[in-house]
Amino acid sequence: MGEVENEAPAYLNRLAKQLAPSADVVKKTLKSKERIVHLLYLKSVVDMMQLQEIIVKPFYELPKEQNFADYIGSLPYETNMPSGDEDVLIEITKGNVFVMLDKQINLLELKMIASNTVQEAKMEPTIHGPQLGLSDSLETNINVIRQRYHQPSLIIETLQLEEASNRSYALVYDKDIVRPKLLKVLKKRIQSIDAKLIQGSSDLQHHMNDVKYSLFPTTLLTERPDRVLHNMAAGKVIIIVDGSPHALIAPTVFFDFMASMEDNYYSFWVVKLIQFLRYGGLFTCIMLPALYVGITSYTPDVFRTELALTVAASRIGVPYPSFIEVFFMLIFIELLTEASMRLPTTISATATTVGGLILGTAAVEAALTSNILVIVVSLVAISTFVIPISEMNYAIRVCRFLLLIYTTVFGLAGLVLGMLGLIIYLVNKDSFGEPYLRLFWKNRQEELEADEQ
Amino acid sequence: MRNSPIIKVLIMALLLGSVLLQTGCAFKDIDKRLFVAAVGIDPSDKFDKGFKVTLKIALPFGAIKSSTKPGYAYISEEGASVGEAIRLLETHVDKVLELGHMKTIVIHEELLAGHLQEFMDYFVRRADIQQIAYVAAARPSAETILKVEPSTEAPASVALFNLFGDSAIESPFIVTTYLFQLRRDHLAKGINSVLPLIETNEKKDELIVNNSVVISREKEPVILSIVETKYYDSLLKGSTGFTYQVKNDQLKLLLDISESKMSYKISESKNQTPKTIEVHIKLKGIIGESNKKLSVSKLDEYNHMASKEVQKKAYHFFKRMQEENLDPFGFGLHYRSTRLHRRDVVKMWENAYPTIEFKVKADVKLQSTGTIE
Repeated sequence: MGEVENEAPAYLNRLAKQLAPSADVVKKTLKSKERIVHLLYLKSVVDMMQLQEIIVKPFYELPKEQNFADYIGSLPYETNMPSGDEDVLIEITKGNVFVMLDKQINLLELKMIASNTVQEAKMEPTIHGPQLGLSDSLETNINVIRQRYHQPSLIIETLQLEEASNRSYALVYDKDIVRPKLLKVLKKRIQSIDAKLIQGSSDLQHHMNDVKYSLFPTTLLTERPDRVLHNMAAGKVIIIVDGSPHALIAPTVFFDFMASMEDNYYSFWVVKLIQFLRYGGLFTCIMLPALYVGITSYTPDVFRTELALTVAASRIGVPYPSFIEVFFMLIFIELLTEASMRLPTTISATATTVGGLILGTAAVEAALTSNILVIVVSLVAISTFVIPISEMNYAIRVCRFLLLIYTTVFGLAGLVLGMLGLIIYLVNKDSFGEPYLRLFWKNRQEELEADEQ
Repeated sequence: MRNSPIIKVLIMALLLGSVLLQTGCAFKDIDKRLFVAAVGIDPSDKFDKGFKVTLKIALPFGAIKSSTKPGYAYISEEGASVGEAIRLLETHVDKVLELGHMKTIVIHEELLAGHLQEFMDYFVRRADIQQIAYVAAARPSAETILKVEPSTEAPASVALFNLFGDSAIESPFIVTTYLFQLRRDHLAKGINSVLPLIETNEKKDELIVNNSVVISREKEPVILSIVETKYYDSLLKGSTGFTYQVKNDQLKLLLDISESKMSYKISESKNQTPKTIEVHIKLKGIIGESNKKLSVSKLDEYNHMASKEVQKKAYHFFKRMQEENLDPFGFGLHYRSTRLHRRDVVKMWENAYPTIEFKVKADVKLQSTGTIE
């Protein structure tokens, strides 16, 4: 190397110009006797210590016999150089350091991530199993998955969303069991998303739903690594978005939402009991309000005589018909749930106490509702929370209002009709080509045949 | 924004919602219904061949824990038919009469002679009346029986329901007959239905059920005594209990029977006329009371004594029914259903039954003397 050129090359200048006038753009030239290196990075996303250790220090300490360009080229931090200015700039905004050395250009990933620690699993707590969930960083999440699944067939495809945030996301799957058609459909669906900004897996889930007015989720959002692994090992695809502590699982069927990871940890009969309770809770919270209206107002013969008399007595003095009473109480309980969810945990306990206990008792005292209905509504509220996944929880809460309307108009026959409609809707629905209400049950013959294949 | 469909929908919802809260909006709720607990049927004074129908209506009450007495209302009306009387009764109250919980039909004793079609038809046809309702005969009248409020009756539980079935009291003296059963047996050939007979004491605060009535389409009803009722119930329906008294010269035993079974065979003579009914009775139990000291080694002796007693009493009961030409056990029905069909099978049975011979064999197996020596 003879003369050392002082000026930054035109390419670097062009890039720097496009990033200006951001305050955190750094364009630096390292100079020593026989070599010169130009750096371009955003100091807010680059780890300064690493930059110092990996690039600046060796630059001055490396004996002159050795080639600094080779050193840079050998670093493990390198990311692929995209073609086109726009893509290079996106890489720089992600935390890559643009290094230019003579004619050689490299991108070194020296990102600094503020939150790459794994968080506690708060939404789906279990007694056994991993207590920690995923983190905000894509790399950490992939690391969490790799750490638990050592298979060369585990594929991680990192892609980029085509919207404002240009986020990277990863498709994680086991290539030996995943269906290629499913992968194709998924990729196509994600690429065809027409959204301005996607902030994480939660809104990606929303946009991946191809129907405009949908009620039931077609992908499952989870924060538990064991659920991710459990589903991936069954041939599903996991989508992880950078900056979001949740993973998306696709495709999903209705029964995936009813499964808790604890079902894998307990003994057979314990699990059967828990599952029985869970499905019991599902039917209670979906049908009980409607049943109350249907039985008290249309067919009181269904009750036992004693119960019929007690219910009739508890309704004495209640001014509004049963369905308004039930609507009133259901909306009240929904408000209570929503309020306690939005409030900080320290206050939400007070809100529940005031709402649930004091208002409930007062409503009965004031003869606005019957006390039997207070029992019914509390039972409904409690059993809603037995459903392990919160999206399904919300969908079911909407469903029970629909059933209530049907029953109000047509009595118990309406309830049956409404349930039938719901089942028809679910049967008709699919999640990326998988029938939504697909049963996990196979008869003996089918299982034997599956073995032979 | 003014013509936005969302605004329109919202306004519609708001208007409809406010309509629901108006005074005019009403719904036939459970508190607008009256639950009829029991129906009583008596002969009418005003109408020839008419009926007097009494309804026992269970009233809802506020706090069950604090109320001590159950609340009932009684309404009666006479009419040419049961349906007509109930139709008129609907105009006597301010709420809907709900018969879905009506579980006891009480019929005046005198009405049980002859065909029941006239007044029972209404209960079979009306869709909301359950066919598992109990049917019982009443003495002195259905109205009196309905109006008895036993001192043991608790709020929100109807004593007339508790008496029958096995859900509360379980006694071999109480016969339980359901509406569907009564209709089936009443219309079938070769069996006579049996109804429990409800009586009351002088103070009218007890319901007493320990007799029963055998009814037939062709003739007057026959009252079964307490012992006969017990034998009917335990032989046909396997009822058990503390009720079998066995006596001999010095010894008096009361047996607590836990298992009772009857099997029988109808044998025929050469020309296919039924000749004998061989009845085999098997009882199992322990000795519940005795007037002497008992010994386990003599158990066989007691068995033998009890068997002889049961055999004698059962034979008398069968014989009496035969003399009355009644068949509460349904021997005739059994015969009809187990023989190849011939044109005269019913007639043959009817001719043969009054002279048929009963061979009763009883096996009492006592398992212990009831005490530890």
